[in-house]
Amino acid sequence: MRPVENMLDKDMRILVVDDFSTMRRIVRNLLIDLGVRPKSIQEADDGNNAMAILRNVRFDLVITDWNMPNMSGIDLLRSIREWDKTKTLPVLMVTAENNREQIIAAAQAGVNGFVVKPFSAATLEQKINRIFERLAVSEAGA
Amino acid sequence: MNTHYHLALDDDLPQSLRDLLDSTDGPAFEQALDAIVHQRERNVFRSLGQLARDLHEALRRLGAGFVREGVAHVAADARQQLDAVLEMSAQAANRSLDFAERMRPDADALVQHALAVMERTAADDPALPLARRALEFGLATRTALADMVLAQSWQDLSGQRIHRVAAFIGSVESALLELVRLTGELAGEEAPGTAPPVSGQADADRLLAEFGF
Repeated sequence: MRPVENMLDKDMRILVVDDFSTMRRIVRNLLIDLGVRPKSIQEADDGNNAMAILRNVRFDLVITDWNMPNMSGIDLLRSIREWDKTKTLPVLMVTAENNREQIIAAAQAGVNGFVVKPFSAATLEQKINRIFERLAVSEAGA
Repeated sequence: MNTHYHLALDDDLPQSLRDLLDSTDGPAFEQALDAIVHQRERNVFRSLGQLARDLHEALRRLGAGFVREGVAHVAADARQQLDAVLEMSAQAANRSLDFAERMRPDADALVQHALAVMERTAADDPALPLARRALEFGLATRTALADMVLAQSWQDLSGQRIHRVAAFIGSVESALLELVRLTGELAGEEAPGTAPPVSGQADADRLLAEFGF
């Protein structure tokens, strides 16, 4: 497993949101495999707790599951886009279903990437890189 | 007024009903109307009673537990069983993750040590092939541990399905309890707050009889 080069910065602060602790652990492990520092990764078990963390800590990326109790991934995404301080924060949506309606809803809510579980470290790396490549292009064009 | 009704109604109505509608005897008209309404109510209650009995029979076929312990108890027990499966699967997945996280630093260290040995070892040194083998093993172990971590996704994927089944059981339970309450209300009896435990066919029949079925 090679450490990532190019877009994925090892100091990138990432918030992993999933109601299943095993899935949070898996994503954390995959990110560490990709070279991200363990201390740069934080976790939340639903959208409400994620928003509470986001209000106090600045992150470079949010990786969130879709299906969660209390506040789902799509509602978290909408909350992130509504709040001034987080409205441009990149969000990678993770889902267990390759569902067309979900993808459309996420795209309309302003998601930056969409990945279907289960996924490999290579797929995760590709999706994250794609997000930051697109952001770099849009910033250059702005 | 009677003329108005007579003109509006279809000639297919039974003669007795047409006579009744044409009648100028108010009390007789109301009495006959009440009789028709009660007859219709009885039909509705008979249908509901049959529905409740069919439902009970369907539940009985689903398993002795449903009849013996009642829907609420069986549904709660089913949810507990699913929660236990979820908990056990989480423990199993976490044990595998613990193992992978514990072994990964060792695999990384083996790779680093093997590389260091290879750098300072002469080509004809017998330690060189061993260092190469150690490097290959360390790299393969790292890949295998990463695959093992990824394989634990099954716990999340199966867990989400278990959550859905638990929610479905909850909705079925609510619907059954609501049906019991509604059928009780329709029969004009006091509705039970929750489905009481039913210990057998006789108890089920007694319960249904309380609602007039």
